[in-house]
Parts: sequence; structure tokens; C-alpha cells
Amino acid sequence: MPRGACPERHEILRYAQNDTKRRAGNDKGMFFGSFQTAFRIVGEMPGNLREKIRKYLAKQAHLPSVGPVSIWTILFVIAPLGFILYFSFLTAGDFGQILPIFTLENYQALARPVVAEVFLRTLLFSLATTMICLLLGYPLAYFIVMYGGRWRIHLLLLVILPEWTSYLIRLYAIRMLSGRAGLINSALLSLGLISSPLGILYNPSAVVLTLVYGWLPLMVLPVYASLVGLNPSLLEASADLGATPFRRFFTVTLPLTKGGILAGIILVFIPCIGDWLVPLLMGGTKTFMAGNLVYLHFISAANIPAGSTIGVALTAIVLIIMYLCIKAGGKEATERII
Amino acid sequence: MKSLTGKTLLAIATLTYLFMWVPTITLIVFSFSNDKLGIRWEGFTLKWYAEIFNNAAVRNALEMSLIIAITTIVVSTLAGTVTAYGLYKYKFRGKEVIRMSLLLPIVMPYIVTAGALLVFFTRVVDIPLGYPSILIAHISFSTPLAVFIVLGRMQRIDWTLEEASMDLGAGRLTTWRRITLPLLMPAVIASAVLIFPWSFSDFTITFFVAGVGNTTLPIYVYSALRWGETAAVNAIGAIFVALPLIGLLLMNFFQKKRVI
Repeated sequence: MPRGACPERHEILRYAQNDTKRRAGNDKGMFFGSFQTAFRIVGEMPGNLREKIRKYLAKQAHLPSVGPVSIWTILFVIAPLGFILYFSFLTAGDFGQILPIFTLENYQALARPVVAEVFLRTLLFSLATTMICLLLGYPLAYFIVMYGGRWRIHLLLLVILPEWTSYLIRLYAIRMLSGRAGLINSALLSLGLISSPLGILYNPSAVVLTLVYGWLPLMVLPVYASLVGLNPSLLEASADLGATPFRRFFTVTLPLTKGGILAGIILVFIPCIGDWLVPLLMGGTKTFMAGNLVYLHFISAANIPAGSTIGVALTAIVLIIMYLCIKAGGKEATERII
Repeated sequence: MKSLTGKTLLAIATLTYLFMWVPTITLIVFSFSNDKLGIRWEGFTLKWYAEIFNNAAVRNALEMSLIIAITTIVVSTLAGTVTAYGLYKYKFRGKEVIRMSLLLPIVMPYIVTAGALLVFFTRVVDIPLGYPSILIAHISFSTPLAVFIVLGRMQRIDWTLEEASMDLGAGRLTTWRRITLPLLMPAVIASAVLIFPWSFSDFTITFFVAGVGNTTLPIYVYSALRWGETAAVNAIGAIFVALPLIGLLLMNFFQKKRVI
């Protein structure tokens, strides 16, 4: 009998579909469903209470799977952050203790010229780094998507791989190249282009360029993802309607990849704001950023309240930037972060 | 690629690739140089590699880094997979809150996380600095990564296979073992491969919570970098650069084996 000829076929199919729907509706998850069965012991209890408890347990079926990590997060992620928020309002003792005396002095200290300058510098460096990353990363992602062809994945991997290498080692590599006795200087010297070694390191541009080197991959990835997701027929349509390639890029491609750009901005800006290794290894004290202050307060000076305050301020900046970017970029920006 | 735009793009891309790769490639090349400072080419040698493997301090640091990375991978991928399953399968109140709080360790500046953990371990609860504190820190920032990678995979796999298996009489556990887990395996392996470099080469957070005398490989490199660079660091650096490549090849290998 041909497949379509069975008259009961529709009946069977409908039954199967309903069955699947019913199962999907009842399904409380397979792995942890056994959790509920284990609590059927409750069945020995008097009727009214038993039903209540059983209903409650059925509602909590997610706990065995989601619970442990949630507790962990509360204990070791949220609590530490909560405590530095709390400590930022307390007074530091002379010997590194935290005295339980409420004060706003730590926050007032943020406005002191020395500290404010560091924060301003941090913002400026991070902003410059993010802009340069965007200016280099967008064309790179665009190039990979448009001209990559069958090498696309390989070209993308060449971008990702450095990100998986130790950040410290990469900073070390840069230092090796650009130090006073480094390769760039010795090459220029032996070519006779300069007569004494250039001071490439220990200035603001060295810090910004190294930051770009460190975080550029994080800009390329989300932009690449949003460019790949672009509907090519939209580009064709705009070309058919007579848009020049230039205009097409600025009125179609760029607005449609906004989510990726904003995600890239978040991903680059946040680590820059908190960076302390680059100023430490490439810049010297004159280019110290807020992260260096955190280090100084926490480790060198053992002034926990002051360090906590700077940490809270940094977190606040990060949250504001994230909020603005997500608000501007909508759901796509949030999804592309991960 | 004949157009002006194409040429400009090619130029920018080439320069950017050079910018990203020249430093690490130079590092690798000079790890084979005879020069004591590691910044001049004076003939090929493998002695720096021999030196780091004979150096007890490096070996101890490597051992500590490996123990931490492997423990973190096992705990984080397990916890991450289970959590992702719960987040995907159940509807409950506070789900968004959990997702958002899992994002926290990923988006917080490292230095803030590091400082907060140090203060928490030393001033609030009494967790000894060393393996316990480092492991707690690493698991905290690695688990969310595994959760999101596995969750991403869950949104793409065909869940009717689970139902089919149950229809055919398999129990919940058998179904999980024979159907669900193999379907999730690529994501589990991917998160393990991603977590390894994260944990193995993390510096800032480890440095803060390690306490005195506990040296992981990145901390060893840091002290070498601050107190006089030696060519041996080049060799360690070359290993760090090669590691993700090895991870990638491993992942590729696993994926090929898993093709149905």
C-alpha cells in the first residue's frame, strides 16, 4: 500500500502530535524529575498538607540543577561585591584594620585632584582604545566576511587565538619588541636611522597601543557575528535602488550591525577601564590608571575602605556604560556579549 | 578585490594581522636564540627549553597551574552543564536574575573582582590563601562561561530525540546518558577547551588571591618580568602561545570523532 493511502494516517498523526504536546506540557525535565519521585514519601502525610507540599515541591523542581551554582554565585560573587560596597563607607585604621565607623570621606577623596586625574585618564585611555579598536576591528571583520571566502574560519581563528594566549605573555612580547634594548630600537640603530634608542615605552600612546593590542579581538568577534548575520538581499536591494557603495554602507550595513558594534564597545571598554598591568609594565607612574589605585590601596597600603571605594566607582562606570550600550543596541547587543 | 575599497580593506587587515601576530611570533623565534637576554639572534638553541624543564621553580609553578586549571575545568563544566540544563528546562521565578548574576563575573573588571575576593577571603570569611582561594576564584569566573556555551547549544539541539528515547522505553537516566549528554558533548568540550586558557593563564585574580609563596606559572612570569627578563621566559611564553593552538587541535579532533 502506498504511504499516503492509509485512511487512518491522519488520525494516527493527530494522536501522535497531541501526545507530544501533552508530554511537553507535563515535562518537568528528565534528569531531575527523579527529585520529585524521591519526595513522594510525603504521601504518608494527611491529605491536605500532602497536596500542598507536593505542589510546592513540583514548583521547586529546578532547584537541584540551578540551586548549587546560584548559592555559589551569591557566596563568592555577589557577597564579595556587597562587602566592598559596605567597606567603602567605613573608616580605615592605622594598621590596615577596617573600623566600623560610617564615613563618606572615601567618596569625597575621589574628587581630590590627584584621584580625579587618574579617573579622567582611565576614561580617556579606555575611550581612545575603544575607538581605535573599532576603527581597526570593523574593517578587519568586514574584510573577513566580504573577502574571506573559504578561509573565513581560518582568518577568524587568527583573530581569536591571541585572545586565548596569556595576556601577561603578550605584554611581555610587546615589551621585548619595543624596550630600550628591544628589537625595534636595535633594528633602527643598526640601519642607521636613529643614533640613540627611542623611548617607545613609558608614555600614554604606548599604553593605549598596548591596550589596543590586548583587546582588539574582542571587538572583531561581535562585529563579525553581526556582519555574517546580515541579510545580503538588503544590500542587493539598496544597490538596485541606486545607492552608491559608500551610501549603502552608511545607510544599510552600518545601522544593521549596530548591535555588534555596541557589544564590541562593551567588551573592549570594560577590560580597559579595569586594566592595571599595561600602565604598570608599559607606562610607569605617570600613566597610572584606576586599576593601579585599587592595587596600591589593597596590596601596598592595605587601606581596604579606600580601595573598595575605587572598586565601587569602577563598577558604577562599567554598569552605566553597559546600560547605555544595551539601551542603544537592544537585545542584539546583550546577546552578542557572550 | 580589485576595487579601491577592497585594496584599502586588504591593507588594513594585513596591518592589523601583523600588529596582532608579530610580537608573539618574535617571542617564539627568540625563544630559540642563544642570546642570554633573549632579544638578539645568536644562533639556534633549545637550551632555554631544557632550562625551564630543569628549573624546579618553573616545574612547581607549572604543576600548580595545571592542578588548578584541571580542577577548574572539571568542576566548572559539570556545574555549568547542570545549571544550563536547569535554566533551559524549567520555568521559574528569578530565572532572569540568575542569568544576569551569572554575567557578573564575566563583565566585572578583573581588578575589582580580584580585590573584592581578596578582601572577602581575608577580612570576612577565613579562607586560606593558596589552593582554596585560587580554586574558588577560578571556578567563580569559569562556570558562567560553561553555562552560556552549553545553553547556546541547548537552544539548537533537537529535543524530540529525548522524547523519542522515552517513548521507546528508556528511563530518565538512560535517556540523559545515551541521548542528552552526547547531544550536549560538543558544547561541554568547547567550554572545557575555552576554560583551560582562561584558568591556566589568568594573572590578575590569581595574583591577588594567591597569598605569599604560591606561584602559578603566570605569577612566575610576572616576577621574572619585573625583576630582570631572561631568555627562559621567552620559552615559557612560547608554550603559552602554543597552548591554545593545541587546545584547538584537540577540539577539532574530538569534533571529527563525534560526527555521526
